[in-house]
This record gives sequence, C-alpha cells and structure tokens, in this order.
Amino acid sequence: MSASQEQNTVPHGVTSSVGIVDVDLAELDVPLLKRLVMSPSFALSVAIGLFVIFGLTQSAQFANAQSWINILRDATLIAIPAAFACIVLVSGGLDLSVGSVLVAGAMTAAATSSAGLGAGTAFLAGTLVGAGVGLINGFFVNFAKIPPIIVTLGSLFAVRAAVVASTGGNPIGPLPADFTFWGQGVVFGIPVVIILGLVVVVIAHLVLSQTNYGWSIRALGGNLNAARSAGIAVRKISISVYVLSGAAAAFTGAVLAARLGSGSPTFGQGYELQVIAAAVIGGTSIYGAIGSVPGAALGALLLSVLSNGLVLLRVDPTWQNFVIGLVLVAAAGLDVFRRGQMFRVSAKRTAASRKATS
Amino acid sequence: MTLTNHDTDRPAAEASLPALRITDAWKSFGHVAALRGVSLTVRGGEVLALVGDNGAGKSTLVKVLSGVYPVDSGEIAVAGVPLEKADPRLARARGISTVFQDLAVVETLDIAANVFLGQPLRRFGILADRKKMIAQSAEILRSLKVRVPSVRVAAGELSGGQRQGVAIARAVRQDTPIILMDEPTAALGVRETAQVGEIIRSLREQGKAVILVCHDLEFIFAHADRIQVLRLGQVQGVRDVSATTRSEIVSLITGATARDEDLEATN
Repeated sequence: MSASQEQNTVPHGVTSSVGIVDVDLAELDVPLLKRLVMSPSFALSVAIGLFVIFGLTQSAQFANAQSWINILRDATLIAIPAAFACIVLVSGGLDLSVGSVLVAGAMTAAATSSAGLGAGTAFLAGTLVGAGVGLINGFFVNFAKIPPIIVTLGSLFAVRAAVVASTGGNPIGPLPADFTFWGQGVVFGIPVVIILGLVVVVIAHLVLSQTNYGWSIRALGGNLNAARSAGIAVRKISISVYVLSGAAAAFTGAVLAARLGSGSPTFGQGYELQVIAAAVIGGTSIYGAIGSVPGAALGALLLSVLSNGLVLLRVDPTWQNFVIGLVLVAAAGLDVFRRGQMFRVSAKRTAASRKATS
Repeated sequence: MTLTNHDTDRPAAEASLPALRITDAWKSFGHVAALRGVSLTVRGGEVLALVGDNGAGKSTLVKVLSGVYPVDSGEIAVAGVPLEKADPRLARARGISTVFQDLAVVETLDIAANVFLGQPLRRFGILADRKKMIAQSAEILRSLKVRVPSVRVAAGELSGGQRQGVAIARAVRQDTPIILMDEPTAALGVRETAQVGEIIRSLREQGKAVILVCHDLEFIFAHADRIQVLRLGQVQGVRDVSATTRSEIVSLITGATARDEDLEATN
C-alpha cells in the first residue's frame, strides 16, 4: 500500500473561512468575560451583593463594621473545612465526618493547651487527630472499597461518641491566653481568625488549581479508571484528600475552641451539612471533578451573610434554614444545568466542524 | 517460522532492526492456552494489523505487549533488547505505548490535561506547567491533523474521533517508537474512522512502528502494510497487504486456509 498521495482531503477555502483548522489551538474560544460571567462564583457574588443591598435598605446594622467582622468570622469557620470538602468532592469522594472530627480537634487542642503545652503544640495535636481520622476514612474507602458516604457517616457517629466518652461530656476551659489569641486576637485591626482562614483558603486554592497533585485529584473525580491506567497513584491521592479534610476540620475545631475560650463536646453538631452546603453552593459538583475553592469560600460567606443578615432583618431564626435549603437546591440545580449546557455547546461545535469539513 | 517480507518500496524500514520482535510466546490461563507459540515482528515506519476471530488471542497479545500479562515462555524484544519482565511502566519506558480501547480519557479535564495525564510537565517540582502543556499538546494535535476548536476544551465536549485523537496524542507525546492501538475505530463513524486513518498514516510517515488490532478489514486494507492473522492462539498467516485479498484474509481467519507452518511442514 502506498501512502504517497499527501493530499489534504479538506478543501482549504471552506475550513479557513469557518476557522476550525486555522485557530490557534492554545487559545480558548470562549472569551474571558463570558467565562467569568458563567462561573458559579460570579452568580454567588451577585446573590450576596443583592442581599446586602436589600439589607442596607432595611437595616442600618448592615452598614456596621462590627456586623461585618462577625459575618466574616463565622464565614471563616465554615470556609476552612469547606475548602477541603470541595477538594474531597472534586476527587469523587465525600466526607460527612467533618462535625465530629471538628469536635475531636477542638477537645484535643483544648486538653493539650490546658495541660500547659503551648498553643503551637495544641493546634498541632488537634490537627493531627483530625488527620488520623482522615487516614482511617481514606483507608476504608480505598482498601475496603466501602462507599465514602458510609465510611464517613460511620466515623461521624463513632468519633463523636469517642469524644463524649473520653471527656465525660464535660467542656474543657477556660483556656490560656496564648491559645485563645488565635481565636480572639486582632492584628492590624483584623481578627486573627479571618487571617488564618484566608491563608488556609488561598493555600487550598493553589493546591487544587496550580499543582500537578491538584490536577490528579480532578482526574480521579473525572474518570477513576483513566487516571489509574495513566499511572496516577489513585489510592494514595484519594487517601491524602481525606487526611487533608480531616486535618482541616480538626484545625477549625481548635480555632473554634480558641475563639470561645473553651472546648465543648457539643461543638460542630450538624456542621458537616453546612460545610458541604457551602461547597455545593460555591459550584462544587457532587458528581466530582468540578469545583473551586474560592467558590466554596464564597458559599461559606453566603451562608454566613444569610444567617447573620436574617437576624439583622429580624426574620424569625427558624426560617433561616428554610432559606439555606432553598439556596442549596438552587445551587445544585445550577450545577446540573451547567453540565447540560456543556453538552449543548459540544453539539453545536460538532455541527460547526461537520459543516466545515464536509 | 519465516515472516515474508516483500517490502521493496520502503528502504528506510528495510534497513533498521525490527522495532519489536516477539519470539515464540506462550501464555495459558489455567487449562486455556491463549497464545501457543506466537511470533511477530514489526519495523519502524510500518503498520502491522493483527486480525482474528474472538478467542484468537488478540486481546491477550495486546495485554502481553503493553506489559499487563507476563508470558509463560517466549521473548519480547524492543529494538533487539529483551524486556525482562511484564510491567506497564517498563513497557512504556522501553518504547511501547498503548492506546486502549476505552481510551482512558477524563471527560471533565481539557485536552491538554488529558494529553499529559499521569505525566505532567512540572515547574518548581510540584506546579503544573500549564503553558508548556497547552503549547505542546496543541503542537502534537496539529502534527496529527486532529481538528479541535482548542486544546482547552473539555474532552467531554469532543466527538468520538477527536477523543481517539487525544488518546493517540498521549501515546505520541511519550514519543515511543512503537504504538499499539486496540480497536481504534470500534466506536467511530465513517468520517471519524477516516480521521484515525489519517493519524495512523502520519505516525507511519514519522517512522513509528504501529500495531493495529482491528476488526475492520476495509480499514486495514486502507492503512496497514502487513496483516498477521491469529487463530486459536497461533499465527495462521502473515500477508503483505499489496499481495493479498480480502477473501484470503477471511479464509485465514476462519481457518478455511491452512496455517502457513502446516503447509511448510507438508511441503
């Protein structure tokens, strides 16, 4: 057989006029502005903005700096675990144990601190306990092949029970000032909690979006088999994601104990749901592979703005969760819609390239 | 056994060592002998098609070549150097890359990330060098004449033929001298099949040795140089495409034409 006829089967005039062949392949054909407007973070920012504008017309409290410091502080404590819940979801997993791991971290840190071992040791000990629970979660998900929802639901029950049993249900406190500084202190007029939250969220964002590790996480969530056959160490990465999530939840618990000046075994009940809600509201797909850490942080901010704002607006607090529920379902609906859009775009493109080449 | 080689119109391929040589490979699964003394050679710049009925041993041979299964006996040599063990990473490192039938494409990642899946370019050790990956994957797709709107669209937005192109681009990026393709046209339409054919042609022009496992005889006659027919774990015959007919290949596949070796033995 001869391959000597080097002829292009595509008539040149047709293709170049449509521009399928001649586009620079490195350029994305969707303009930056359009991508920005289409992103979930944009919709979220608009929603927060509208709510705040509405609030300003209703209550002078909305213009109060102290209200905003409270809102941001609350948001931070959701945003830290939500950043890593987002990463777990993107990897195709799910971590429901956040609330219990948070209380385990809080109590460990409080106990360590009240034993006089210093704030650094206390935070480290608390965070390590969370990482340990994450390691166990990751192990059962990846080696025992038990679905993550069950494994982490199991540790949600077991860890809190262990915490309550080992503390006798009693709070630990009051805690020393070097420890509570990390929850109550103010640097340059900004609460330390908010600075901590910003640092953690920025690091989590860089890890997911800029590192090869982050890209591997997204590959895992997108197509586990493809990731495996491409030589990605899927088990190691999946386990590491649960470890990070556990560490982040426990660290948040330690910060919460520092903020309140004592650790209580009742911390964090139902926290995992708020955390996952923040991630999903921020555009993280529960089907895996898609999600952004800044989005999850904005989701946390929305939850905080809503719950604080509704109080400022004198709405009966029992209605807060009603609103949050609506927002959550709307966000998940938006995710489904976006995935659908993706395929419609694809169909359009295919049609265009057909026209160009036939 | 002898492999007929009438290639006279391609001196470049003739001069070099076989890129890949399998000698007398045997492989059994329990009592089932999947490969019974299969030998095979393929040279650079040559497209060898492997055909055969179900159970002929094609899939086993693909897995043996990609390093998934070890052989019970026999030797696999890349450019004359035998592979000491079956290991997908070793096979890849020595120069065999495989385009699996399921393509192993991550739909939610863009084309550039898919081309570099598992072997990303790095900056400072841990950061993904997206700029370079985007530029290089665009370069590879262009060289393969795969038409996509941009390497930054998600693989999930691509047609079957374009996805096949991305999977092949990943193999090409590894720049191995031997590329093994398992049923590259199985799920494709007419136009997309032609696109894959074009890619295979350009790989051949680049001097790659291409092994094509395929059912589509029309495609094989259009794109392969030689056809090796497997039947019941043995080599039924090897034919130059220029010197055979479809009906001869079909009768080799079905066993209506006797094995070459049996004929030689009776002569």
